[in-house]
Amino acid sequence: MKKFSKKLLTISTSLAIAGTVSFAHADTIKIALAGPVTGAVAQYGDMQMIGAQMAIEKINAAGGVNGDTLEGIIYDDACDPKQAVAVANKIVNDGVKFVVGHLCSSSTQPASDIYEDEGILMVTAASTSPDITTRGYKMVFRTIGLDSHQGPTAGNYIADTIKPKNLAIIHDKQQYGEGIASAVKKTVESKGINVVMYEGVTAGDKDFSSLIAKMKKENVDFIYYGGYHPELGLILRQSAEQGLAAKFMGPEGVGNKDISTIAGAASEGLMVTLPPSFDLNPENKSLVDSFKAKNQDPSGAFVMTAYSAVQVIADGIKLTKGTDTNAIQQALRSNSFSTPTGSLEFDEKGDLKSFDFVIYEWHSDGTKTALK
Amino acid sequence: MISQEKIIHGLIAAIATLVLAFPLLGVKLVTDGISPHLENADTNTIVSILVASLAVFFVQVFKDHLSSAFSAIPRPDLLSKIPRPTTTSGRDKAEKIATMLLIAFALAWPFAASRGSVDLATLVLIYVMLGLGLNIVVGLAGLLDLGYVAFYAVGAYSYALLSDYYGLSFWVCLPIAGLLAAAFGFLLGFPVLRLRGDYLAIVTLGFGEIIRIMINNLTSLTGGPNGIGNIPKPTLPAIQTEPDLALVGLEFGKRAKTEGNIPFHEYFGIAYDGSYKVIFLYLLAVLLVVFTIYVIRRLVRMPVGRAWEALREDEIACRSLGLNRTAIKLSAFTMGASFAGFAGAFFAARQGFISPESFTFIESAIILAIVVLGGMGSQFGIILAAIAMTVLPEIAREFQEYRMLLFGVMMVFMMIWRPQGLLPAKRPQLEMTHD
Amino acid sequence: MVEASLYFIQQLLNGLTIGSTYALIAIGYTMVYGIIGMINFAHGEIYMIGMYVSFVAITGLMMAGITFLPVVLLLALAFSMFVSSTYGWAVERVAYRPLRGGNRLIPLISAIGMSIFLQNYVRLAQGSRDVAIPSLIEGNWSFGPADGFQATVSLMQVIIWISTVISMFALTQFIARSKTGKACRAVAEDLKMANLLGIDTNRVISVTFIIGAALAAVAGLLLGLYYGVANPFVGFIAGLKAFTAAVLGGIGSIPGAMLGGLLLGVTESMTGAYFSTEYKDVVSFGLLVLILLFRPTGLLGKPEVEKI
Repeated sequence: MKKFSKKLLTISTSLAIAGTVSFAHADTIKIALAGPVTGAVAQYGDMQMIGAQMAIEKINAAGGVNGDTLEGIIYDDACDPKQAVAVANKIVNDGVKFVVGHLCSSSTQPASDIYEDEGILMVTAASTSPDITTRGYKMVFRTIGLDSHQGPTAGNYIADTIKPKNLAIIHDKQQYGEGIASAVKKTVESKGINVVMYEGVTAGDKDFSSLIAKMKKENVDFIYYGGYHPELGLILRQSAEQGLAAKFMGPEGVGNKDISTIAGAASEGLMVTLPPSFDLNPENKSLVDSFKAKNQDPSGAFVMTAYSAVQVIADGIKLTKGTDTNAIQQALRSNSFSTPTGSLEFDEKGDLKSFDFVIYEWHSDGTKTALK
Repeated sequence: MISQEKIIHGLIAAIATLVLAFPLLGVKLVTDGISPHLENADTNTIVSILVASLAVFFVQVFKDHLSSAFSAIPRPDLLSKIPRPTTTSGRDKAEKIATMLLIAFALAWPFAASRGSVDLATLVLIYVMLGLGLNIVVGLAGLLDLGYVAFYAVGAYSYALLSDYYGLSFWVCLPIAGLLAAAFGFLLGFPVLRLRGDYLAIVTLGFGEIIRIMINNLTSLTGGPNGIGNIPKPTLPAIQTEPDLALVGLEFGKRAKTEGNIPFHEYFGIAYDGSYKVIFLYLLAVLLVVFTIYVIRRLVRMPVGRAWEALREDEIACRSLGLNRTAIKLSAFTMGASFAGFAGAFFAARQGFISPESFTFIESAIILAIVVLGGMGSQFGIILAAIAMTVLPEIAREFQEYRMLLFGVMMVFMMIWRPQGLLPAKRPQLEMTHD
Repeated sequence: MVEASLYFIQQLLNGLTIGSTYALIAIGYTMVYGIIGMINFAHGEIYMIGMYVSFVAITGLMMAGITFLPVVLLLALAFSMFVSSTYGWAVERVAYRPLRGGNRLIPLISAIGMSIFLQNYVRLAQGSRDVAIPSLIEGNWSFGPADGFQATVSLMQVIIWISTVISMFALTQFIARSKTGKACRAVAEDLKMANLLGIDTNRVISVTFIIGAALAAVAGLLLGLYYGVANPFVGFIAGLKAFTAAVLGGIGSIPGAMLGGLLLGVTESMTGAYFSTEYKDVVSFGLLVLILLFRPTGLLGKPEVEKI
């Protein structure tokens, strides 16, 4: 017992010391990487962390920013809003002025209140909820598209190209899934498509047989699913088993190799709205190779957006030749940045001026081909 | 001497360790592409599994030697460290002084500590409030409630919705949130309180889930999974002299967000500092906790509090004394719920944003763990336990992805180490003395 | 009319399938509760471990070149039951036995801690991504008009029902006939008395945990094959549902767990079918509250006698 408390003491003192000396090194610029390292969505957090870490490594290898090196510090919020606020206060406390994160919109939202007040520049690479940038904040940016962009893209394609007789829209009752699903619903209804079902499922559920039987009864011929791949994968698999003959479509949250692993042959022909796959862009070849050399998967949805988030911050620091976040936020709004996710420009709200979504057809071996 | 039996015992334990570890740690199931395959873990993992099972073997074989060595180390007995005057009046006096000192320390501390720790302390205080509230139900009345988080959610959503729809301020909403949560406690408690023991536990768990799912589903009212954002922070009431005499609220943001409020730093003519807000929230939490402690202390000394404990000790004796079982249980349930309501409203104010995912079952479990670890019934113990349960995961942050793993281990370990809780409750008792 | 009844039958069959697996997991809760009166919250995690281990075993056997399905499945089942039972046994030894005899809330908290630990242990060992295996058992039957709604029953569903029935029958026989089974019943009746009569209660409690874990492993394998997917967090929700089923049927009663599981499964399925999937958990818990109001000890639970 004594030994243990001694260890605890050492840890807490070293923590305290680490807290006080954070200003000592003027030659490193700290970037907080905030997102889930533990918890049920840790796998998405991984994507963000490897992308951001890689960017930091590359930038440092190329001589850093204005001669200073970047340092990424991981802050785990477990996608829990309560911990996100604690993490945000810790970041303020540690004197970090730049944040890449958070991941879940419900964590990003309360944390961004604190960053805005304290003049900390936050770039999220993964939170797609429109609410985050509609509050007139200056310090909040994102390098990913919004649910409200993606929904209409999918909705227009369904209404103009597919023209289903009986459309079902299913979502997972979470911020991301329901947000996109409702945007799709609005778009298709304005174009006169018959939405016969609009229903939520519980994230984490495994059995969708009851829902599938219901869709069979309603003669649904096309299903839009707002949510992530684990649930849609199971819905696809169980639909095939129960003989529901319908086409499926989903947002980028389902466009993940794992969906083919889960659904197998049933994932053939699934349509997915995705950002252009940056890892297949020939210009990113060397970057993709660096990821592969480290045995990391560059195809995750948030890997490249996180890379861009770090790059945008670094370029902002370069442009203003300093770490004054207020100057940087102005620079971000008035310049364009060349990143692996393309040439980025931010609007007044802090969103990207354009973020395209492309419709892909998914294949059962985990590959995809563009439809448009 | 090492007997043969012990060696066999050690072998069984060592083999069990191998069986436990190998299928999950020794191989990794990888599903790249469509067909899954197994990958062997690296040599390090294999070696550590073998070392672990060897260690288990030796620990089992030399268990007696080890435990005799360990018993030489004294177990910390927190209770005995606290001075305990024998006379009742002396004890009261000592307690009063200790409480005063503690409050004084709690009030002065944030001005010396860092922003992160003050914020963490605020979180601890929220859990203290929740722990104290649940303690009425579980510790004092002996009713196992696994859905306490429901009332916490009711409190949080009361404030968020009232301020969102009607623009009511924190100070108006705080009592309303408590009352609403109490009303929910009363309504839910009424039908279920005739259930006993674990049946009550599962029904309360069910209610907790029902309320969370309803909040998630009623999107038009509660925002569903989107939650409610932009919840105003509490204001500090102050008197304004210019242009005319009026009561205003001081806000801690850079600019006042609500019409008629003044930013704190402008009112006092000092420079803006973000930590004022954090410190103010902390002090507010201290105030609420002190209020909670005070009220519960009074209640426990009142007939209703005595009835709670009597009911826990012996239900049949209670009934034969003519006490109304349902009324007593209901009062405990309602009182407990109201404190969760206060805590919820404060939580919503601290977060500025709430969504149903903050009110899951695991939250109830953690509050319950605080009560049990605290020693069921003892208020000081609950404060210690709340600190332990909130600060431990923060310290474990250093261990990154091992954080929650360690948290689970600590929960088990603390139960084994101190099954009676950190500070078991002192029961009020009368002593006969000879003169 | 035909369509409506086919639809009803389809939903009933779906519900029975979910319900059977709830029942298998619920046994573990109910047996432990019956004997030592504690809610073993870590039981759902044992089910999750059973699922992982059976995936590992199936993949390993396939890689070793054994592809004859019945052999693969039986070996995987045996292996998964063995490993899960060891987990069940070890959890009891480490986290519950030192706490026996004290306040009954203490082991409950220890169990919650154990549950958090096991979840994160598997997450660290196997990653938080879903792991999946391909469908091994294919084939289904459809009933109904070719141009209208067809009810479908898959071979896998039939296997789940049959396995559940066999497991339940075997367990009931074991409890009723074998010497250990009799000892289990004696301990459940009165632990102290059983101890005085020379029954090794520690052993009986260990056996209870082992049986519960083995049945959870059966459920893990069956559901693993049925859904094809596992992640470290499946155990928690399944455990919660199974616990609800156990209480619904009357905690401590084995036929009760069976009945409670089936009733819960069918209720969920019917709510999804005729109302909305969003409210299936609300309706299930609502049903639980309602039943407990009229039968305070569950459907088949023994009414508690107040001893004076």
